[in-house]
Amino acid sequence: MKKGAHIPRALRDALLTAAVLAAAVVLSGVLGRFTEGDTYVGFLFVLAVAVVSRWTEGYFWGIFSSFFGLFCVNYAFTYPYWQFNFTMTGYPLTFVTLLGVALMVSTMTTQIKRQERLRLETEREAMRADLLRAMSHDIRTPLTSIVGNTAAVLEDRGALTMEQKRALLRDVNEDAQWLVRVVENILSITRIRGEGVISTEVELAEEVAGSAARKFTKRFPDSHVSVEIPDEVLLAPMDATLIQQVILNLLENAVIHGGATEMRLRVERSGDEALFSVSDNGGGIPAERLATLFDGAISDGARGADGKRNMGIGLSVCHTIVRAHGGTMTAKNQPEGGACLQFTLPLKEMEPHEAQG
Amino acid sequence: MKLRDKVLIVEDEQSISNFISTVLNANDYDTITASTGEEAMSMITSHCPDLIILDLGLPDMDGLDILRDVRSWSNLPVIVVSARTREHDKVEALDLGADDYIEKPFGTSELLARIRTAIRHTRTPLANGGIAQSGKFSVGALTVDYDKHHVLVDGADAHLTLNEFKIVALLGKYAGKVLTYDYMIREIWGPKAKADNQILRVNMANIRRKLEKNPAEPEYIFTEIGVGYRMRDTDE
Repeated sequence: MKKGAHIPRALRDALLTAAVLAAAVVLSGVLGRFTEGDTYVGFLFVLAVAVVSRWTEGYFWGIFSSFFGLFCVNYAFTYPYWQFNFTMTGYPLTFVTLLGVALMVSTMTTQIKRQERLRLETEREAMRADLLRAMSHDIRTPLTSIVGNTAAVLEDRGALTMEQKRALLRDVNEDAQWLVRVVENILSITRIRGEGVISTEVELAEEVAGSAARKFTKRFPDSHVSVEIPDEVLLAPMDATLIQQVILNLLENAVIHGGATEMRLRVERSGDEALFSVSDNGGGIPAERLATLFDGAISDGARGADGKRNMGIGLSVCHTIVRAHGGTMTAKNQPEGGACLQFTLPLKEMEPHEAQG
Repeated sequence: MKLRDKVLIVEDEQSISNFISTVLNANDYDTITASTGEEAMSMITSHCPDLIILDLGLPDMDGLDILRDVRSWSNLPVIVVSARTREHDKVEALDLGADDYIEKPFGTSELLARIRTAIRHTRTPLANGGIAQSGKFSVGALTVDYDKHHVLVDGADAHLTLNEFKIVALLGKYAGKVLTYDYMIREIWGPKAKADNQILRVNMANIRRKLEKNPAEPEYIFTEIGVGYRMRDTDE
């Protein structure tokens, strides 16, 4: 989870500024030995100031660099050498240019960052709203059934047979189990704090697959999952609970919406990624649904084969989780029948800022 | 008259406490209930229950504090019930000495199975009483020979390395119980070792390839995602 000491932002910026300015000083010094004139010095420092302003946070380092640049240009590298000359022609212009570049580039960088943050926030909000809508839809149906069935049993005055009551209670139990799974999905989403922000740990791909299959078989004892793993030991950074949730959702979809009885869960290496595939012997995915499968949007077309359960929810949760891990997700129908859903996880550690939890 | 085990249910939600009570009474357990931490503390000392079912989210104190207190003077089996799905809480509860944990919502058969296992384990001094007598732990076709330091599958030596043997031996000693990653690392590589989860994972992958028929669908050593590993119990 921890990626070693993370260099603090301020220190990083200071080091960067020092390095860029040092490079400009050294270059000015070296060029000074071989060339006539000194006009390039000014340009060099303008460039240095622009670089510093672009890659550091806020205005401070950019302005600092322009003062430093001014000092160098005036004192060290232009005639008269090694002395200040405030009467030098163009001195105010050099100063204004350096400061202007610093301010402009810093402002632009800050603005771009702010816009980027805003865009991400809007996207995240939209995603959350979509999910909430879909979730409430998923929750309302089983709740209605639970309220209705239990009321029927409670208000019964002897008209129902024991067998009928058991049937009603069995439905209640099934609907409650469904709700449990919906809540698990909601919980998964709360573990992702925005795009790509999850806490990962290096895990064995085979363990997560095996454990998901085991958990699934406990819930659906009538269905069979075969798991295939490579001989090679595949380690990938991930939030194992979330990836387990992804696999569970995929297997569950195959049974509930595809009507499958046999599932195959396969883990293999594909380049520098771990590839997970869940294929089944069910009815496959309707062609018109393939395009919008991971959106989580509800429309009449988005309903599952049983007419009441939205198959988009589980999948859009999967998609969100996989994307947060820097992986991709695809769905297709197999030529021999049944659906095949695949997702990948990068085997390498993600960039520290992405993986920081 | 048959002596019934007494179970203390510490749970603030009346409906959940009722349901657990009903199920346990129907299955030959006596039950007492406490809805606050304070009540639970006094009942533990006055009633001497045989097992505690402890909900972590109590109104007046953290359930883990009760666990900490009980463990300071007794080995009384404690099963932690938690609605929190964060692995961190389970890991902390196990490291503090909880015998097992169960996640809300749970089914009755699951709850009864956990209670039986927890009670049986405390009645045998070593987690697995057989080891002390025979020097061996066996489950299915797997045998861990603690005297000869080897592991047999279907009677044939599985050729484990020293660390692999230590891991399997440790899991066998506490068969049926989840051992957390940190606990295992401390036990195998020592408290100051720099070993990390990754080394444990790689060892485990190799062990599975040597012991299991299909390493993807293990029969003996199970992974509890985010928490740790568990060896199959002898009667599982």
